[in-house]
Amino acid sequence: MDIHIRTIRTVTIIDLSGNLIIGKSEESLRETVNRMLAEDRKDLILNLSDVPIIDSSGIGAMIKCFTSVKAGGGRFKLLGPSRMARQLLNITGLLSVLETFDDETTAVASF
Amino acid sequence: MQKPAQLQIINRFGASNLLPLSKPLFTIGRKAENDLQLLSDTVSRQHAMIIYEEGNYILVDIGSKRGTFVNNQRIERCSLQHNDQIRIGGDEDEQITFLDQTVERASVIFNSGPLPPLSANSDDRIRAASANEELQKLSRFIEVNQAFKFSLTPDDVLYLIVDAAIEISNAERGFLMLRNKGGDLEFKVARDRYRNTLEGNDFSMSRSVVEDAFKQNRSIVVSNGLSNNERTPGASIFSLDLRSIACIPLRRFQMSDNMDATMMLKRDVIGVLYIDSHSQTETINQTSIRLLESLAFEATKSLESVRLMHEEKEKKQMEEEFNMARQVQLALSPTAINQPEHLEIAALSVPSRYVGGDFYDVIPLKDGRIAFALGDVSGKGIAAALLAAMAQGALQSQFAGNLPLTDIISSLNKVMVQRSASNRFITLFCGVLDRDGHFTFINAGHNPPILARTQGGLEMLSTKSVVLGAFDFVQYAPLQTRFFPGDVLVIFTDGVTEAVNSRNEMFSDERLEELVRKNVHLGAEEMRKLILNEVETFTSGLPQGDDITLLILKMKNPG
Repeated sequence: MDIHIRTIRTVTIIDLSGNLIIGKSEESLRETVNRMLAEDRKDLILNLSDVPIIDSSGIGAMIKCFTSVKAGGGRFKLLGPSRMARQLLNITGLLSVLETFDDETTAVASF
Repeated sequence: MQKPAQLQIINRFGASNLLPLSKPLFTIGRKAENDLQLLSDTVSRQHAMIIYEEGNYILVDIGSKRGTFVNNQRIERCSLQHNDQIRIGGDEDEQITFLDQTVERASVIFNSGPLPPLSANSDDRIRAASANEELQKLSRFIEVNQAFKFSLTPDDVLYLIVDAAIEISNAERGFLMLRNKGGDLEFKVARDRYRNTLEGNDFSMSRSVVEDAFKQNRSIVVSNGLSNNERTPGASIFSLDLRSIACIPLRRFQMSDNMDATMMLKRDVIGVLYIDSHSQTETINQTSIRLLESLAFEATKSLESVRLMHEEKEKKQMEEEFNMARQVQLALSPTAINQPEHLEIAALSVPSRYVGGDFYDVIPLKDGRIAFALGDVSGKGIAAALLAAMAQGALQSQFAGNLPLTDIISSLNKVMVQRSASNRFITLFCGVLDRDGHFTFINAGHNPPILARTQGGLEMLSTKSVVLGAFDFVQYAPLQTRFFPGDVLVIFTDGVTEAVNSRNEMFSDERLEELVRKNVHLGAEEMRKLILNEVETFTSGLPQGDDITLLILKMKNPG
C-alpha cells in the first residue's frame, strides 16, 4: 500500500493506494497518522478512493486513528470509500461516528 | 581410570554377558549395525539408544513400535540408575540390567581405549578410520534425531560437536564460539575430554590463534609450538604451555546452486571451533585437521537443520496454544441448550484453521425471557479468543444483574474500550425474547441477522449501532420487533457469508438470504443443517480463514 501526503490549506489529506488489510498496510497507516500528530497536523482526511478492499483490521486501524486524532484535539474524516468499504463502515456503525464524504472539495470545506 | 557403566545381558539359557557402555551413543535395535543387536520381532530395527550426557546414562526410545521399558514402566527418555531392568519391545529372551558402579563419572572415557598418540610412526589410517566412524556416528545421530523429532535444541548440537571434535583429535579441551550480533565471538560451549562442561567465560587459551582463524577464515594448527600460520605464534601459546592447538572457522552453510568460488570465499564465518592439548605426545596433525574441517562443515549444516527443526517445534507449540485457546472458547459456549416450550434453538460453531474470536450464548432470564448473543472479535489468535471469552463472561454476569439491555451493552462497551487494544473491536448482536414473542435487540456493528417471516418476506435486524470496544462515548439504543409462530431468526458471523470457494467467490449475503427465505418452513435444527450443508458444498472442503458460527431461533406454533 502506498501512502501519499498532501495539504490543502490547513487540512492534511492522506491518500491511500492499495488494500487496507491486516499486516503492513494498517500498521503504516497508524504510523503515518501518529507522525502527522507529532508534526501538529490535526485536521486529517483519509482518502480511500483508491482502496479496493478493507478488512476488519483496516477498520480497527481507522478506529485507532480516529481515537488518537480526537485525543490530540484534531478531526479525522473519510473521503471516497468504495461501495464495499462504505457497506462495511455502515454495518460496523462507523458511518455514524466518522464523517464521510464522496467529494474532496466538500470534505476540505467541512473543517 | 574409572570403568564406564555396563549392561548385563542374560539370555534365556542363562548365559550372561557384560557390555560396557563405552561410547557416547550406544544403540540398540534389530539391525546388525546396532551396538546391541536383539533379534526378536518385537524389537524395531532402530529401537533405542543410551546417551551419556552430563554424567548420566540416558535411555531414549527412538520411536519404536513396541516401546522401551525400565522396571516395567514404558519410557521415552529415562535416566538410568544402577540395577534398572530394561526391556526392549516385547523381547523376553534377554534380561537386561543396567549396572553402574562408577563413583566418579568424570573419568569415563568413551573410546574402548585411548587412541594411539599421533607421531610419525603411528598408523594414521587406523586413526582416520576411527575418527571417520565418529563423524558418521555424529551425523547419523543427528539424522536419527531429526527423523524422530527429538527435543534436540541447537545447544545440544553444539555440545555434540565439541565432544566429537575432542574425540576425533584426542585433544584435552574443546571450545565453540559463535559470533554474536555485535560481530564479536562469544563462548557457547567449553568442554573437557571427559565431557564435563568447563565453567566460566574466561579461559586460558590462545586468543591470537582464535582471532586469526576467525578473521582470515582459515584453519590454524599449532603443533609443538609451531604454527602453520606465517605469523609468529602469540606469546600466550608459550606461556600457557600449550603443545597443540587447532582452530577451525565455522562457515555459514547455505543451500545455494549458483555459489561460485568468489562467493565461497565470501561466506560468513559464524564462529570457530577451538581445541587444544598440553600433552606432548598427543599433538594434532594434518589428518585430524581435515577431519575437524569436515566436522565443522557437518556441524554447521546440522546446526542449521536443527535450528529449523526447533522452529518447527515452536510453531507446533504455538498451534497447541491456539488449540488451548479454542478449548477455552468451547468451554464457554453452551454445550446443551435447554429447549424451552415455545421456541426451537439451534447453534453451530465451526472453528477455522486459525483461532478466531467468535462466540455465542443463550442465557435464560427471569419470567421466561431468554437472552441471545452472538459476537465476533476482530483479528485472530489467542488475544482474540481470550477477548471473546472475556466479553462473553461479562455479558453473562451483566444479565444476571437483571439490567436493561441498553445498560448491559453500554457497560460492556466501556469495559472493552478499557481492556482491549484500541484497534481491536467486537461486533455483537444481542437480543432478549419475551415469552409472547416480543423481541428487544441491539446490533453493535454485526452483520444484520435475517428474520424470515412465515408469511413471506425477510427483515434484517439492524440498529446501526457502533461496534463495541471502539469508542467510549457512543450510545446503544435498542429496537423492538415481534416474532410470530413459525418465524425464523438466523444470527450468523461473516464466516458464513464470506466463506470462499476455489474460485475465490464468496458465499454472500444474497445466497444466505435466499436459502433462508425458501426454507422458512424448516425447524431450527434442520435450518442449521441445511445452511452448513450448503456452505460445505459451496466451499467443497476448502479450509476457511474464519470461524463459522450460527444461532437459529424458531417460534413454535402454539399448542
